[in-house]
Amino acid sequence: MVTITINGKAVQANEGEMLLAAIRRQGIDTPALCHHDAIEPCGSCRLCMVEITKKEWEGWTRSVTSCLYPVEPGLIVSTHTPQLLELRKTILELYLARSSQSEVIQKMAEDYGITHSSFPVIPDGDDCIMCYACTRICEELGCFAISAVDRGHDKKVSGPLRQPPPDCIGCLSCAHICPTGFIKWQDLDSTRTIWERQFELLSCRTCGKRTITRDFAEYLMKKRNLPAAYFELCDDCKRTETAKTMGKIVVAAQEVLK
Amino acid sequence: MKYRFIVDPVLCTGCRTCELACAFSHARNLKQGRSRIYPLTHEKDKYVPVVCLQCDDAACVKSCMFDALRRNEETGAIDLDVARCVKCMACIAACPFGCALVDEVHNEIVKCDLCKGDPACAHFCPSKALRYTKIAVR
Repeated sequence: MVTITINGKAVQANEGEMLLAAIRRQGIDTPALCHHDAIEPCGSCRLCMVEITKKEWEGWTRSVTSCLYPVEPGLIVSTHTPQLLELRKTILELYLARSSQSEVIQKMAEDYGITHSSFPVIPDGDDCIMCYACTRICEELGCFAISAVDRGHDKKVSGPLRQPPPDCIGCLSCAHICPTGFIKWQDLDSTRTIWERQFELLSCRTCGKRTITRDFAEYLMKKRNLPAAYFELCDDCKRTETAKTMGKIVVAAQEVLK
Repeated sequence: MKYRFIVDPVLCTGCRTCELACAFSHARNLKQGRSRIYPLTHEKDKYVPVVCLQCDDAACVKSCMFDALRRNEETGAIDLDVARCVKCMACIAACPFGCALVDEVHNEIVKCDLCKGDPACAHFCPSKALRYTKIAVR
């Protein structure tokens, strides 16, 4: 355990964890868009900036991204100094200029008292804030299907060569982790469309309810050694089957006990 | 594991008190959670409370690609770390007993975590079909 000071209060933090985790455990609201526990932090959204100092630094402070800064003994952290609030406001204004239609960013900006950006709003801006949460989660899966393509203004997240990604398995992890909900998908009948690619959805043998994509099921069978029989039914039908099987076991056991 | 959750379908009367106890004990923001336990009937007047069996070699743990499902050594249950979950539905598709569920109200994946070592359903079961008892450690 490491003792650090957050907003004047001495708290205990686990060794090796990042500042953001320690701050959030104290119930202090630190905004962050690119952070998720399942992926490696990368500090791209810059909203979780905090001010750190130490006794021996003689009054000097540093502004760091708390999601990337490991806890150190004797660290003194401030999360809501006037400078930090100003910094966050500027970043949010930049986000508003880029993604003016995003509800998440509008809500976050409103919390900081910003209703419109003082930067020129990009007319054809989209909701993608280039945080790479989607590409990082895809790396975590071991698929590496999507990544950033091109440079500068044209940079965007897509499959290789702006084509539908051949390695994608249609698991929707990227769409669910996207902080602004920019990644769109559609489930129509037995096909799922994401990244301009179509996937076949498995359906329950008994009731016909759609479950996951065939590619995803095959991925789980191959990488995690799960039998194909597990993916034949939906969860409702599996519970009914379980009740039937257990009922049979109970009847058999009662006969044995007689 | 010092305690074990026992499901005894012979004693189950199908009163569904466990379902209510589960939904209410997992309520948040004045909204009930989805029940993790399902008393299902397989034959007339015969009920089986279908609930997570906390398998030793669990398919949900194997299927989770982000280590969100982990065994809690204290309670013996497999706990879901909501902060790590990305709702890819792999555990729901993989569980052979259908005991990983989607809570549409709170928009998250849920499974039985034995209420952190004090199951509400066992407290409320009037016929003692659900029990949480101490067992001898072999």
